[in-house]
Amino acid sequence: MIQGIISILIILLLAPMFAGLVNKLKAIFTGRIGAPTIQPYYDLKRLLRKETINADSSSFISAISPVINFVSVVIAAAMLPIGLARPVISFEGDIILFAYVLGLARFFQILAAMDIGSSFEGMGAARETTFAVFAEPIFFFTLGSIAFMSGLTSIYDIYHSIRLDNVTYIIFIIVCSTSAFILAVTECSRMPVDDPNTHLELTMIHEVMILDNSGIDLFLYQYSSYIKLFIYAILETSFFYPFGVKSYTVGIIIFVVVIAVLSITLAVVETITSRFKMKNIPQYLLFATAIGILNLLIYTFTK
Amino acid sequence: MQNVLSILFCLSLFYLAVTSRVKAYVSVLRFQGILLTVLLVFPFINHFSVYAFILPATLFVVKVILIPRYINKIILDLDIKRMIEPSIQPFTFQLLVIFSMIVIFVASNILSKSTSIETIPFASGFSAIAVGIFVIIFRKKLIIHVAGFLVLENGIFLFGTAVASELPMMIEIGTLLDVFVVVFLMGIAMNKISSTLSGFDVTALGRLKD
Repeated sequence: MIQGIISILIILLLAPMFAGLVNKLKAIFTGRIGAPTIQPYYDLKRLLRKETINADSSSFISAISPVINFVSVVIAAAMLPIGLARPVISFEGDIILFAYVLGLARFFQILAAMDIGSSFEGMGAARETTFAVFAEPIFFFTLGSIAFMSGLTSIYDIYHSIRLDNVTYIIFIIVCSTSAFILAVTECSRMPVDDPNTHLELTMIHEVMILDNSGIDLFLYQYSSYIKLFIYAILETSFFYPFGVKSYTVGIIIFVVVIAVLSITLAVVETITSRFKMKNIPQYLLFATAIGILNLLIYTFTK
Repeated sequence: MQNVLSILFCLSLFYLAVTSRVKAYVSVLRFQGILLTVLLVFPFINHFSVYAFILPATLFVVKVILIPRYINKIILDLDIKRMIEPSIQPFTFQLLVIFSMIVIFVASNILSKSTSIETIPFASGFSAIAVGIFVIIFRKKLIIHVAGFLVLENGIFLFGTAVASELPMMIEIGTLLDVFVVVFLMGIAMNKISSTLSGFDVTALGRLKD
């Protein structure tokens, strides 16, 4: 239990750092010096000091949704294992709860965006929903296939019951990390799907939904988006746990190495690609779903 | 190992279904060539013999170096535009590829119970054949038809390795030569056509009269 609490504290503390690291690497690759790695902490601190103003046309939804969004993301984070520690929330079938708690977070964010009544935010909400529809199957096919493989339905048990004598697992890692990466990029609105630094409302997806928020509300939204990115990074890290001998040192080394590699990959992808056209995004997501289906097929037929 | 390479092969097929650039098709062909070479070299790592390396070496030269270079040369010479011009929605095309792949995997699993075939390489080769045919049917550009034909041929090659562990080498080399000649002829034909027809659109061929 105490280890679970430590791991959720790690997630909460390191999440902004990961986003900062990706931004710093991205700046280095494009030949700039860039903001310091701990810049997200400064941003969050600045937002905390500001006053919260809601639009006149907004209802109570706008007031509650930042909190619900943040809390659901934290609950999702509490279900993820780091290293050998059993997470705080862990029971049979928590894989489904994990997906839908994140779904709840998104639902309230979309609802709040439409609640304000600005046409731009309605547009952003519509886009977010459209892409969420295509992102959901990626999660279920990827994590579903690993659940099939182990025959268990709790995230912690799944990752810690896989035995490496099965050759399929190596194929599985190649295939799964690709689709999990695409999922992370989509859910966290990173580069090929959405540009986090864009400043034109017409081209935004995620950012346009929080245009009218300020102060504590914006703080909660920003912080939960950092945590969400880190959650997907940890999900990717988890694929590599079966390689570690059951000791803390190896677990920590795997964690650090995978996080570093993942941040470099994110930065490289964001540097060399441009944002897709809106109509091409479903195609990109279907590609990841196809990978997930392939994964399931491989597992079923090599048993 | 054979399974891992076949899965990578399947991933390249998915990429083929997603992409909309002519250049990406050429690089996928090159990638598949490398995969097939590794697939052929792999069984001979333990007992090395020069004779066994003739086929992989020929395959490498033809599929990874000669054919992609020649296609690139045609693209440059004839100034072919970089978009592939599909005749159906890319999304529909992708769904079609996914569904046909699922059907093929299930079917080959059923087949593998009665015959001695390796399911994954067999199914990957079969799906490559299907995807090659789909590419030929649903794309308008002639150069893409050549690429589709080559993907189909790669599929047959993989299929062959799955069904029999060792095919007679002369037959394989003969097939490679055939493929190279076919691509060569297609190139010459396209060069000839380019003087009469401005675009390289298959639909334009329907207007031809004698």
